[in-house]
Amino acid sequence: MSGRPVRRFVDGLLRGERTEPARPDDIEAQEMKTAIELRAARTGSDSPREEFVTDLHRRIAAAMDDGEQDDAVVRRLPNSTRRQVVIGGGLAAASAATGIVVGRNMLARTPSQQASPPTQGVMEPNAGTWRPVGASADLPKGGAMAFDLGSINGFVHRTDAQLEAVSGICTHQGCKLWLDAPDSRLRCPCHSTSFSLEGDTLAHQLPTAPPPLPKYEVRETKGVIEVFAPTESA
Amino acid sequence: MIAGQNEARRPRIGPAQRSRPEGGLRPVTEAAYPNWDAVYRDNVTWVYRLMYSKVGNQPDAEDLTAEVFMTALKPLRVSATVPEVRKYLKMTARTVLAGYWRDRMGREITTIDEDLPDESGGEVIESDAPDRVRVVLAKLPDNYRRILELRFLQAFSVREAAQQMGVSVANAKVLQHRALQTAARISEEEAS
Repeated sequence: MSGRPVRRFVDGLLRGERTEPARPDDIEAQEMKTAIELRAARTGSDSPREEFVTDLHRRIAAAMDDGEQDDAVVRRLPNSTRRQVVIGGGLAAASAATGIVVGRNMLARTPSQQASPPTQGVMEPNAGTWRPVGASADLPKGGAMAFDLGSINGFVHRTDAQLEAVSGICTHQGCKLWLDAPDSRLRCPCHSTSFSLEGDTLAHQLPTAPPPLPKYEVRETKGVIEVFAPTESA
Repeated sequence: MIAGQNEARRPRIGPAQRSRPEGGLRPVTEAAYPNWDAVYRDNVTWVYRLMYSKVGNQPDAEDLTAEVFMTALKPLRVSATVPEVRKYLKMTARTVLAGYWRDRMGREITTIDEDLPDESGGEVIESDAPDRVRVVLAKLPDNYRRILELRFLQAFSVREAAQQMGVSVANAKVLQHRALQTAARISEEEAS
């Protein structure tokens, strides 16, 4: 006959308290299980508190910082402007402690994953034409200007003798960027994301950094700046 | 490295028009999280809900959720795909919960199922418990079902529940205890 341990357990459960240690038998364990299921079926009581989520985030960040000093690898890949943070070390120890077998895929980059990381690409339409966006004379060294060709819009700027053009659409949710010329930044009106004129993500307030802006091919012919844009369908 | 894809071509001189053959459309799959922060934000809610559904109280669910992320995030390679990360978190949650019960009760009161393919990337929450509760409640005598609904689902105190049912507080307590015993027996029968 089940009795006191279950009563105590249920009283605590219904008061929202932590589970007290006990040594239930089979029947009592089943009653406790049923009590948990009943309690957990109460609607609206299973969302994590915002303060808890924020606080745990802070604690993890602190733990991660500690770990980085001794065993994590933070590296900048060559030919890439994206910082790739690879967290490693301690794997064997943690796996042993928790009895978890981590599959090979957790350890190695598989080819399929290489398609997804946000790296800066050059916009290459299936079919395109060179379209004029402005006069060379209008774009001095260090300057930047906006253009809109209908099918694409963006910003072209001149560094030294080189021209570079990037998309004018934020990679987060597609808001149209504006040129903050004094700061040499492209800013998103939606979530304060900002990009460099080269298209690198400089600042954001999102959980995940948006990818950099795609680049456009740009050239100068006979005093005219041209961008390679997709051919518009008739 | 990603050959070709990132290399800027230099078509400074060339025909005014060009085109290239169109490849087949590919579905987007195998996305990876960019960093631990994204792993945390995307998964903390379902891990917490899962833990809550297994322990039934907030303080323990919070502690267990914290333990899952503290244990799982450090050794986690961020290059793992989203389904891999979720599966790994779930396996970690399973181990953490088992340890919690063994420590408190000397046995596992509730467990997290191993299986449940959640490759869909959508809901990872186990939702069979509320259904089971409904089935079990439906099989109880009226007064048993009533007391459990009032106390567990609607959060009334014993006194309030007793008032609503028109019985004494002592009666309500006994009723609740017997109702739970019966529900547990039915639940076990359902499971087997």
